[in-house]
Amino acid sequence: MTVTITIPTLETERLILRAPRIDDAPAVTAFYASDRSKYVGGPQSAEVAWRTLAMEAGHWALRGVGRGAITEKGNDTALGTVGLWHPEGFPEPELGWDLYDSATGKGYATEAGQAARAYAYDTLGWTTLISLIIPENTASSAVAQRLGATHDGDFTHERYGYMHIWRHPAPEALT
Amino acid sequence: MTVRATDRLTLRPIAATDMNDLMPFYLSDRGHWHGAGPEAGAGRAWRICAILLGHKQIHGFGNFIGRTNAGEAVTSVGAFCPANWPEHEQGWSTLTDTTKAANTVINHDRDELGWDTLVSYIDPANARSFALAEHLGATRDTTAPRPDAGDLVYRHFGAAA
Repeated sequence: MTVTITIPTLETERLILRAPRIDDAPAVTAFYASDRSKYVGGPQSAEVAWRTLAMEAGHWALRGVGRGAITEKGNDTALGTVGLWHPEGFPEPELGWDLYDSATGKGYATEAGQAARAYAYDTLGWTTLISLIIPENTASSAVAQRLGATHDGDFTHERYGYMHIWRHPAPEALT
Repeated sequence: MTVRATDRLTLRPIAATDMNDLMPFYLSDRGHWHGAGPEAGAGRAWRICAILLGHKQIHGFGNFIGRTNAGEAVTSVGAFCPANWPEHEQGWSTLTDTTKAANTVINHDRDELGWDTLVSYIDPANARSFALAEHLGATRDTTAPRPDAGDLVYRHFGAAA
């Protein structure tokens, strides 16, 4: 028995959201080497960053959903990791986004987040979605607010520690 | 792709359906050899399984799960090559029995994937694992680079580059 996993490609006005690939490793490694990763389990060595990329890919096999690379249209270089994330130990599925250095300040996390959320609601039929964010991560919390999410309790993760639960608007509130 | 290792054992590429067998292994004491174990918790065990599945997905090769004709999962065995690994490595987790499966996958790596050489990196405290490497006919390579300075390197076939 061979199980083929189909990972959707989503398109926004400016971005493509696609499956994680092995040639994303340099971008993922650079992100996890940088201080920008300090709120999402970093900084990490190149080897651990590679395992994280593999885990992102394996998440699709285990959950049927996952996160992928965002790229600008016409340039396949990964600029961030965005999508639906539900590893063991999370209280419920989240919409997650990591934006790499060169991609900040353009509204890309919000734009890609909207697309992934629409996929969860409209294609998968999910009825709610959270984002878990370490409170000190003000940039990410601002993205959650731009997406219309509101602070809805707290959660302590075994590795990341204390996090805010941001609850996204329900599907009917977005139409 | 399915590889029949023996008349008693079938190897298939690792899949999400193997989780019910892999999670208890990584949550057991023997999960310690793989960075997991009971006190590391289900989150850690799950992430290791996701890494193995994702390795197969992004590399195109990786671990196989060996099952008996009755469906019992007895081994997880296959190539593991994260970034910065010095060369192609063969790894194994003995769920209950590994030897035949390891032999089959080593031959697969050499004959089907066309690799020139293959090693295993083993913690010197893991006596069962280096005993298996020796049983498989691998020989110690004392000079090859290794991920951790304390690892033993066993070479299954071919010569160091």
